[in-house]
Order: sequence, then structure tokens, then C-alpha cells
Amino acid sequence: MIRLELENAVIKYGDTAIIKNFSLKVESGEMIFVTGSNGSGKSTLIRGIAGLLPLSSGKIFRAERVSYVPQVEEADRNFPATVKEIVLTGTQRKGKLFYTQNDKKLAEKFMKELGIFELSDSKIKTLSGGQLRRVFLARALCGEPELLLLDEPCAGLDAESHKILFGCLQKILEKGCAIIMVTHDDSDLEGIKNSRVIEMSNNHE
Amino acid sequence: MNEILEILSYPFVIRALISGSLISICASILGVILVLKHYSLIGHGLSEIGFASLSISSALKISPMIISVPSVIAASFLIMLTKAGDTAIAVASSAALSLGIIISSLTNSISNTSSFLFGSVLAVNEADLIFSVILSFVIIILFVIFYNRLFLITYNEDYARSLGINTAFYQIMISLLTALIVVSGMRIMGTLLISGVIILPAVSAKNLASGFKALIIISGVISILAFLTGLIISFIFNIPTGAGIILTNTIILILTRAIKTK
Ligand SMILES: Nc1ncnc2c1ncn2[C@@H]1O[C@H](COP(=O)(O)OP(=O)(O)OP(=O)(O)O)[C@@H](O)[C@H]1O
Ligand SMILES: [Mg+2]
Repeated sequence: MIRLELENAVIKYGDTAIIKNFSLKVESGEMIFVTGSNGSGKSTLIRGIAGLLPLSSGKIFRAERVSYVPQVEEADRNFPATVKEIVLTGTQRKGKLFYTQNDKKLAEKFMKELGIFELSDSKIKTLSGGQLRRVFLARALCGEPELLLLDEPCAGLDAESHKILFGCLQKILEKGCAIIMVTHDDSDLEGIKNSRVIEMSNNHE
Repeated sequence: MNEILEILSYPFVIRALISGSLISICASILGVILVLKHYSLIGHGLSEIGFASLSISSALKISPMIISVPSVIAASFLIMLTKAGDTAIAVASSAALSLGIIISSLTNSISNTSSFLFGSVLAVNEADLIFSVILSFVIIILFVIFYNRLFLITYNEDYARSLGINTAFYQIMISLLTALIVVSGMRIMGTLLISGVIILPAVSAKNLASGFKALIIISGVISILAFLTGLIISFIFNIPTGAGIILTNTIILILTRAIKTK
């Protein structure tokens, strides 16, 4: 099943086309690694797929349930919210206003897997950078995505968490999720069987 | 004590009590979102546009709602949807304030102008009361239904959009409700002071609450406490209602700040 299809997509900041005539087709169970130097447009591509940037031209089809872990969470670190409250928001969808029992179970499950369950009731401002990263990963995973977009998810993770994350990813790939992951770490590329690498280049016009 | 009982026997006082309490609670709930989203100035901008529209309608001798409802709503959409910065809001609101003052001083008595600016309990008529009861009911219901969404959107709008949620709808909802609260609260609280009624309880509550839900509840409690105390103060010392309420709110803010740092 197709989870994402981009056809000649163009994404611009102002007049500068960062993504030019970009085409990509991703099937369920596939892992796409996106690499390339700083400023080459990896985040721009991910934000475009997540629906945060419009395509100037071209076509996009994306699966219904998409989860996204941004490179930098642009939200107030002092926001009065607990870990559990933030993780649960990942289960929200268009047209779905309330959390079900299943949502709560999923949130609990991924908090446990990522080792932040003990922090459930902690305020987010008391967390370390790596712990917060795991909160955002748990939030994305508990939405049971069909397409998962990860923008440098391993930044700030220790070796143990890194291993756990890849374990989780392998499991959801087997369940049919497709994943697009930006990474700078070549050793990531070998960890997953059914995967491809796309290298972004730095010639914007 | 006897004095208070005597005051309570006036129908206009009862109207002001009911209407003011409901508006206070709803204003402070909306205030939580506005404060967390760093839109604290929006209420201020809107209320000065409200003042201009009050002055105009009083000069034209028509019901204030006819002009103030559409103009304040239009202004709120403009501010929210264009994500107008502090500077734009400050410019627009001082322009509206001066326009209001000019019209008001040409056509009104000083005491009328001052009651527009600083509030008066005498201002609540029966139609205002009904309007504020319905509005408060609607706001509370919307908050219950959309609680999870509002939490998500207040925390991170981009993330909400990546989930396919129509964030513009909620922005419009918040700006519309803010506009209506400003309009319905501005005569009792005063156009210059209604923005404080919206913002101050949320700022105080932020010093005490740990989560979003607690913040909303504490903010509502503080707001109604400040309203009732402020109302009594304004009766006893014969000062404008809005000023009494804001004074109480300010004292509460200082107290909660002290508790927090302790
Ligand atoms: N908000 C913005 N407005 C204008 N230009 C931008 C904006 N965000 C990014 N750019 C430009 O777009 C280009 C691609 O940026 P992008 O963030 O996609 O790079 P990246 O590949 O993710 O880099 P990194 O490895 O540093 O994360 C850069 O040249 C950058 O200057
Ligand atoms: Mg990037």
C-alpha cells in the first residue's frame, strides 16, 4: 500500500526553491533515510510532507494518519503540562476530540518502552533534553501512524535510548508503517533491512 | 453587613453580580489561552476599539451593541489571523482610544466618558444580562467539548496542523469568544480595564498551578473572587467597579508571586 507519493514537488521559502521537482513513492513497511549537509533542505522536505509548508507546485498524496517528530520542538518549555498530557496529544486526529481507553493504553505502552513512564506526571519543564526528545517520540508513536516522519530523532539520545528507538521502529515497520527519517549518522543506515537512502543536495536557486 | 444586604436589594446590583461573575469566569478561562499563547495584548487592543464604538454609538444615540459587536469581532479576526505583533496592536488601540476620546468629549459628559473607561455597575441592563448568561454558557460548553484540542493548539499549533487538524477554526473560535467577552464585559469592568480582567487571573494562576487543567480552574476561582471583592470595594469607597476589581486582582497576583518564590 502506498503511504506517500510526491510528484514533482516544489517547496519554496520566499523565491528560493529549496525542494525542486522532487518525486518520491513510499510503500508501507519501507524505511527511507534522508541525508545531506546542513541547509540542504531535509527539514524543509519533512515539513512539507507533514503539511506545515505548502507545495508551490506538484502533487502530494499522504496516508491518513501521519505523525511527525520535529527537529526542534517550537513550543514553550515552561508550558504547564505533564509528560502524560503531551504524549496523549499524539492520538488526536481531525474529527476526534476525546481520548479513548485505547489511546491511554498506547500512551502508557510507548512511555514504558521509551523509559519515561516514571516521568508521566512530571512537568515538561523539569525534563532533560534527551528525556524530552523521548516524550516527543512517544507522542508520535502512540498516534499509531501509517506514515512516521522523524527529523533527526536521535539528536540528544544516549546509546541505550537509541537502541530502544530502533527496536520500536523495526516493530512498527513490520506492522506496515512507513518511516521517513532524517539522519546524519551513517551507522543508522545499516540498522534496518527494508530501507533506502535519499541524499539531499545543497544547490538552491 | 446591613449595608451589603441593602445593596443586594437593588435589581441592578443583582444583575451586575450575575453578569459580572459569569463574565469574570469566562474571561479568565480565555485568558489562560491568551497568556500561554503570548497574546496578552489582544484584549487590550480590542477593548479600546470597544471604547471607540461605545463613544460613537452614544453620540449617535443607538444601542452600543450594534456598533461594538461587529467592529470588535472584525478587529479580533484581523489581529489573530494576521498574527499582528505588539506594535501593530499598540498603534491600533491608541488610535482607537484617541478617536473615542475625541468623539466622547465633543458629545458626552465627563462622567459618562469615565464610566465607559473604568466601568460602572449601573451599566448592566436586562438585555446585557441575558447576553452574558448565554455567552458564558456557550463558552463553558465549548471548553468542555474542545478541551483536548485547545490544550494541543495552545501548546503547539504546528504539531496540531501536522495531525491534520484545522487550527484556523480554533483560532477563529478563540478570537470570536474573546471579542464577545470584551464587548459584554466592557461596560461593567470598563473598556480600559476589561483586558486586565481577562489576563490577570491567568497570570496569578500560573504561579500556583502545575498543569493546564489546574490552571484553568484556579484562574476561574481567582477571577470570581477578585470580582466579588472588587465590587464590594467599589461600593464602599465609591470608586469605579473595574478599578476595584483590577486592584484586587493585582493584590492577588502579588500574593501568588510571593507564594511561588517561597
Ligand atoms: N523559515 C525559513 N525561512 C527562510 N529560509 C529558510 C527557513 N528555514 C530554512 N530555510 C532555508 O532553507 C534551506 C534548507 O533548510 P533546512 O532546515 O531544510 O535544512 P536541513 O537540511 O534540515 O539542515 P540541517 O541539517 O541543519 O537540519 C536553508 O538554506 C535555510 O537557510
Ligand atoms: Mg534540519
